[in-house]
Amino acid sequence: MKPLTHLVVLAAACACAANVLAQAPAPYVWTLPAKFPRPRVPTDNPMTAEKVALGRYLFYDTRLSRNGTQACATCHEQARAFTDGKARAVGSTGATHPRGAMSLVNVAYASSLTWANPSQSRLEAQALVPTFGDHPIELGLEQPGTALLAALRQIDMYRRLLPAAFPGDADPFTIANVTRGLAAFERTIVSARSPYDRYHYDRDDAAVSADAKRGEQMFFSQGLSCFRCHNGFNFSGATDFEGRREGGTPEYHNTGLYNLAGALSYPAENTGVFEITHRPDDVGRLKARRSGTSPSRRPTCTTAASPR
Amino acid sequence: MTIGRGLAIVAFATVALGQHATVAAQPAAAAVIAVGGDVSHVMSLTAADIKAMPRTTVTVSEEGRETKYEGVLVGEILKRAGAPVGRDMTGQAVASYVLAKAKDGYQVVFSLPELDPAFTANDIIVADTIDGKPLFDYQGPFRIVAPHDKRGARSIRMLQSLDLVRLRK
Repeated sequence: MKPLTHLVVLAAACACAANVLAQAPAPYVWTLPAKFPRPRVPTDNPMTAEKVALGRYLFYDTRLSRNGTQACATCHEQARAFTDGKARAVGSTGATHPRGAMSLVNVAYASSLTWANPSQSRLEAQALVPTFGDHPIELGLEQPGTALLAALRQIDMYRRLLPAAFPGDADPFTIANVTRGLAAFERTIVSARSPYDRYHYDRDDAAVSADAKRGEQMFFSQGLSCFRCHNGFNFSGATDFEGRREGGTPEYHNTGLYNLAGALSYPAENTGVFEITHRPDDVGRLKARRSGTSPSRRPTCTTAASPR
Repeated sequence: MTIGRGLAIVAFATVALGQHATVAAQPAAAAVIAVGGDVSHVMSLTAADIKAMPRTTVTVSEEGRETKYEGVLVGEILKRAGAPVGRDMTGQAVASYVLAKAKDGYQVVFSLPELDPAFTANDIIVADTIDGKPLFDYQGPFRIVAPHDKRGARSIRMLQSLDLVRLRK
């Protein structure tokens, strides 16, 4: 082989490597305070900047609802700590849901998702529920999502974002990749710099008021025992994060509101974990979060940004 | 440190309103830990007393972060109260236990041997600082830290008293 040929081959190799490097997704950089735990990310959906960017656009895109009226962000408004301020959520077709929209703040740390389904622990899988679920109807898309994927293929932005997020896929336009992107974005919705965090993690004693400190004492007192349900650093039950030996066991609680539909009964559409397990002792057991503008007892200071 | 033969009077009493106990801030300077029960020297320890004793630091993992608590081995406090620890931890003494009570009424139990540094290496302490600062109001001014417990339920906050109970037969 002559020297010139060497150069050509080398140039071709460099060009190829540069092409690969240009396509390789950039790892997502967490910007968390020191000592704040880092979310545990599924190995089959590593965080990349491109995936988060894709998920961010999908999250705010009303094309994810069948009638084009709602996006994920409709019920998970950033201005309301990623819930909607309503006691009960309203789906894209106007149906009122049995429960409120849960906040997504710090959802990356949750050992279990949703109000009352112990089998939901992965954001990628949970995203299918609001997208395709019909009881109740949320976004109301028709399975298997062919219409959505066809619509996304027509949009220049997604023709850039999906291949960039999944460069190894011959056809990145899949529902699995849509949910991977949504999950990646949801994991970035982290509150770690609220006054409460500054008080506890930075030991800024002036970050919260004396009233708040007295409230914290009562919250953790034996008499009120708020912390028994609202435990963990998110005050919403078991958490999971990098370095934890094992993920927390999902927790559900019955607070004794058992007569909403008459003595000793719950409304048929709202029986808690019983809906999934059909075990009598699961009637009325729900996750420790609350509806309304405050997603959990934890004061929030969300950092995820709107793309618009 | 005050030592007497009777039960020490604890400066702050828990006020109960039905099932709900009110919790008022307790100034660290005025707070005491009453050490009593079946000991030869009943004591009432102030924050200054705790500060003046031999100090021990333990590190625990709390929600993914390493946290350092500093304080005094419970065994050291019990030794000063005359509990049968060290060379006296024999026979029936091994069946003794300590009831720890908090300001809000919460109570936990430790066996006496697990608090005795001559018996185990548990290093269970009465802590008064967290990461070099005073405990948070909801924790302090004193708490027990049991660093080897898998769950935190016995690391009782707002500690107010330690009472030794010895079996008689």
